Amino acid sequence: MRLPMHARHWFRQFAVRGVFWRRYLDFGVTNLPIYLRAVMLFFWTCFFFFFAAPARRAILSNLSVILPKSFRLTNYARAWLTLYHFAWTICDAADHKLVHTEFVYELEGEEFLKQLAAARGAIVLTAHMGNYDLGAALFARRYQRELHMVRAPEEDPETARHLDQSIARAGAGGVKVAYNTSATALPLELLNALRAGEIVSIQGDRAMAGVSQREARLFGKVVSLPDGPFILALVAEVPIYPLFIWRTSFHHYKILTGAPFYCRRDGGARDAAVEAGLATWCRTLENVVRPNWSQWFSLVPIFPKR
Amino acid sequence: MKGYVFALPRLIARLAGCEVRRAEWSRWEVYSFGVFVFGMACVIVGCAVLPFVRPPFLLLLPLVVWPAFLLLFYLNSLLAGTLRRLGLYAAATNNPLQHFVIISLMTLLAVWLTSVPNEWLRSLGIFWLVLVGLNLLALAVLKILHEP
Repeated sequence: MRLPMHARHWFRQFAVRGVFWRRYLDFGVTNLPIYLRAVMLFFWTCFFFFFAAPARRAILSNLSVILPKSFRLTNYARAWLTLYHFAWTICDAADHKLVHTEFVYELEGEEFLKQLAAARGAIVLTAHMGNYDLGAALFARRYQRELHMVRAPEEDPETARHLDQSIARAGAGGVKVAYNTSATALPLELLNALRAGEIVSIQGDRAMAGVSQREARLFGKVVSLPDGPFILALVAEVPIYPLFIWRTSFHHYKILTGAPFYCRRDGGARDAAVEAGLATWCRTLENVVRPNWSQWFSLVPIFPKR
Repeated sequence: MKGYVFALPRLIARLAGCEVRRAEWSRWEVYSFGVFVFGMACVIVGCAVLPFVRPPFLLLLPLVVWPAFLLLFYLNSLLAGTLRRLGLYAAATNNPLQHFVIISLMTLLAVWLTSVPNEWLRSLGIFWLVLVGLNLLALAVLKILHEP
């Protein structure tokens, strides 16, 4: 028996990626005394560990590649820890948005961050890691730079709307969100922004269906990653800055900005330049993800099934 | 600079010569006090239901106390909403009110614990009352010292 349309729409908000949980998080941030958050997040993580089975399986699959010699049971505990960190990071992002809570930051590669802030057109290449929403908002505020953030689209339109509003609020209008879909207008829009000297932030660790992608080796496996950032960098002749932000402890974060790299033809073929850029990115991603596996929130499978 | 939510660790850190201010930065404070509050709530509920359930069922208590806390947060948010409408509460978030209600409730239950025959439980109740008393005292001292 199929439920009527309005009933299905109502139930959809309670799905794992539904808007109900985002709203509930906002409620929690404005209602829970700070000292009870760790306990409450512990229980909610347990809840989602069982009910968000596809996300759990994706983390397990990723872990089996990142840490190939580990036991499956140990990886279950690691998957739980990854979800616990995920819970804290979305909670911190909501905290920053609603209460303007202060966080403590440790910067690595500060000289590159300053270069990026002063750059006339640049691509920030990041991953679904740590608190990227919070990082973008803080960057836009601290350096008074407008940032175009390209994200994977949310499945639920209401969640997407809620997330857009959250990012706009946290970044005080300095962060503009664009969704990485198969639409042809987006690359042109991003190219124009880069040529106008603006900064474009893209998550380069997951390729969505219908989006331009290319095969690359990540952790020794062949995966499909988006090649859009490298083509954009090539055409706009702008540098790519790898940037990551992850939790080090309660309300403490580390921001890592890597040395910029370019995608240049140097007389060679365009494809070779893009592939070289993609390979550089894969090595950077491996170096950052391997020691920080618990904060790689790639909640969809990336590696081919064994 | 160090940051603590509660007055007692702030005063201790200040007496130890550290530069300190009110901020939500201390993981020890958040994790230890949170686990202590939740654990104490479990002990109190366990103590109250022990005559009616078999001891192995007490292991499930955290799964009962967790939704009870969620319900309490919700009821407190309704109370905060009512107080706001009446113009009696104007804080930016409901957190201060929630904190006040939870600590008051736990203090009342701690007073009850001091009257139970079990020595260990009585000590727990006294420990809580001493902790709350010391924190209030530290708050008063910091006010006198004009804490920024």
